[in-house]
Amino acid sequence: MLKSKSFLMSLILVSSIGLVACGGGNNDEVNAPANDSETDNMNNETVTGEGDVPEKPEQLTMWVNDEDAQIDALEEITAKFTEEYGIEVNLTPYSMVDQVEAISLDGPAGQGPDLFFQPHDRMGDIHEQGLAAELELTDDQLDRLSKYNEEAVQSFNYEGIQYGIPAVVETYALFRNTELVPEAPETIDELMDIARDLTDGNNYGFLMEATNFYFTYPFLTSSGGYVFGQEEDGTYDSEDIGLNSPGAVEGAEVIQSWFEEDLMPNGIDADIMNGLFTSGQVGMVVTGPWSIPDYEEALGDNFEISTLPEQDGEVLSSFSGNKGWLVNYYTENEYWATELALFLTNAENSETYFDIAGELPAHTDVEIEDEFMSPIFEQAQHAEPMPNIPEMSQVWEPIGDALEFISQGDDPQEVLDEAVEQIKEQISIMN
Amino acid sequence: MAKINSQYEQDTLVNPKHNPTVAALLSVIPGLGQMYNKRYIKGAVLFILFAAFMVVMIEFIGSGLQGLVTLGEVPRQDDSRVFLSNGILSLIIVAFFLSFYILNIQDAYKDAKRIQLGWKVPNIREGFRNAWDTGFPYMLIGPGLFLLIFVVVFPLLFMAFLAFTNYNLYNAPPRHILQWVGLENFINLFTINEWRNTFVSVLSWTLIWTFVATTLQIALAMFLAVIVNDPRLKFKKLIRTVFILPWAVPAFVTIIIFSAIFNDNFGAINLQIIEPLFNTRIAWLQDPFWTKVALIMIQVWLGFPFVFALFTGVLQGISSDWYEAADIDGANRMQKFRNITFPHLMFATAPLLIMQYSFNFNNFNIIYLFNQGGPAVRGQTAGGTDILISWIYGLTFETQQFNMAAAISIILGILVATFAFFQFRRSRSFKEEGTF
Repeated sequence: MLKSKSFLMSLILVSSIGLVACGGGNNDEVNAPANDSETDNMNNETVTGEGDVPEKPEQLTMWVNDEDAQIDALEEITAKFTEEYGIEVNLTPYSMVDQVEAISLDGPAGQGPDLFFQPHDRMGDIHEQGLAAELELTDDQLDRLSKYNEEAVQSFNYEGIQYGIPAVVETYALFRNTELVPEAPETIDELMDIARDLTDGNNYGFLMEATNFYFTYPFLTSSGGYVFGQEEDGTYDSEDIGLNSPGAVEGAEVIQSWFEEDLMPNGIDADIMNGLFTSGQVGMVVTGPWSIPDYEEALGDNFEISTLPEQDGEVLSSFSGNKGWLVNYYTENEYWATELALFLTNAENSETYFDIAGELPAHTDVEIEDEFMSPIFEQAQHAEPMPNIPEMSQVWEPIGDALEFISQGDDPQEVLDEAVEQIKEQISIMN
Repeated sequence: MAKINSQYEQDTLVNPKHNPTVAALLSVIPGLGQMYNKRYIKGAVLFILFAAFMVVMIEFIGSGLQGLVTLGEVPRQDDSRVFLSNGILSLIIVAFFLSFYILNIQDAYKDAKRIQLGWKVPNIREGFRNAWDTGFPYMLIGPGLFLLIFVVVFPLLFMAFLAFTNYNLYNAPPRHILQWVGLENFINLFTINEWRNTFVSVLSWTLIWTFVATTLQIALAMFLAVIVNDPRLKFKKLIRTVFILPWAVPAFVTIIIFSAIFNDNFGAINLQIIEPLFNTRIAWLQDPFWTKVALIMIQVWLGFPFVFALFTGVLQGISSDWYEAADIDGANRMQKFRNITFPHLMFATAPLLIMQYSFNFNNFNIIYLFNQGGPAVRGQTAGGTDILISWIYGLTFETQQFNMAAAISIILGILVATFAFFQFRRSRSFKEEGTF
């Protein structure tokens, strides 16, 4: 019977590959269960971390995003963990994007890892499928967690349940060509003035992906717009959408004015923006750390990064994406897996990770000394994590579309009302 | 057997006591009927095979079928997807079993009938040889068919079954157990306003897209192929090579490049062609109408080389005798084309051309890579140029509505299948198979 079980599992995998084939994802990595003897680990009770420290397991396994730098960094860090606690750590390279799908089959079958790595906006998805363990942190662990970026910790909390330990934060900031814009603008008005001065024909003062909600969030919400209303404890209210509130409309009008004054061309996208910026035709753009290598190569020393400008004395809050370690629901070593996650992300190891993998840590005690990354790290302190509820997946497209209509001159209030209506309808269909 | 000409006349029965009905009834327990026919070894082998099958599989099939009905009972412990797969496997195995079971009964009945008419049971060697002779083609396609059932039919069934469950983000295994919801997904698709409007507008664009883009690419290919085939034309090889070029570059590269040169503000088409000539710009990526025009043009460009190559090949094969005869009869160019060239082209290539239509019906690449199905349309969830397949992609991967995606896939599959079926049936290539 065991034999046929593994045969069936592989058939299921084959079928699921068939189902997702049009996605073009990297399905080859969905590996069939390795051997039969492990299938009898099916245990639905998790060991909780309360009271005494549970016995140490011989080894822990983790899925690591399959990027060489990240694997190298984590190999170094886990070696230290083994030295300190005497627990072997097994790293399996596994693309972060494919992990959720794989663990939903491997987890219940007892084949999953103890720890896996996910961005915080998949929390709703992971919660609904029940893939991550609800962490029961000891006082000591809670104490350590309090040193982390609060927003980042909160972003791994879903409906009051702490699911993960944040490792990495990522956000965007204002990138400048210092030849054109020597001083970073302090306020939005200053930014607009510079943009008006420099924009002429195919030269632009300020460009951004203005129809991508991820990047426009700070400008759309600076006057009081918001995506979902939040309760005191941080849980989101998906009924309360603030994207057609007066504040958001005000923000949308500002964005529309960029297009009306021809400060920004219609149909702007990342390719165009990067192309123009690297050829030195743009003063300022809004983008994230992933653009640094290309920009540095193109502009050399004439390239600087600063936080977003201020409005009413506050730095605009950008959207941040956090990535963190989650404990597999089906693991038997919840306590030690959590310990490992905290170890991986503590101040010292976060620094190692930043040095090797170049990703900004969620631990706030780390000192980042890098001319490009420090401003982004600073911006991250002002950033707002993207809402982690699954309803968020219904927001991107309608708002992106609305921004496109706004860029083409449609009435912001009308367009945003429609978009919010559509989001609400979609959410109600979803449920 | 050969001696008996009138099988159905009672008086020619050689063994009137041997009763086919009895043989068939005995075969209810496989092998017994064969034994009754005095084919002891065959009977024994059958009996052992069926008994072994029963002992090994009955438990799996039983629990599989039961699981298919319940889809699991205890959340967390039972994974509905596993139950569904086991159930489908059981169904397939049961189907195998039933067909062999029926074959077994038929076999016993037929043998008995022949014995009744005086047929001598062959000895083992002869029996084997007979089976080998008649069964040879089946032996060869057997493994392929078997594989096909698990590699093609199984995933298809899995998808089809999902369309009748409530598998979406909020009800996903392993935390939740799936339920059967019957036709609810299909009913929702046609009753919830937002779904219905989107579905109808996406479907209508899909049909227009398929028809216009494919027909144009075939027409262009035919025009060029006929011209290039003219004996007076020089540099044929070079011209043909140039025409095949669009086919040589990977389509996705071409599409991405096109999406850049069609850009409204920075693309070469607007800046270097339209603006100098007409002093205006066309909103290729922002106006749904122009996006559609652009997409059709690109698809014609990408798709015609294949049809062109096909037609060129066929044109070489038309015997010049036809044209000579036509010349003698005094036919003009148009008549020759209409009565000789065109029918020949169509006859040889119709099935492949139909494939072109079904290919474009599901041509995800161009739609998605060019503009992600955009531009946005107010009051609709799909983009202005989304065809069904790219819409389903969005549903599955952006909002994880697996049940709806499966339901639409089924409708899509049925559409393509009927289309292809009737066209194939009507095309002369199939009707007149073997006449040429």
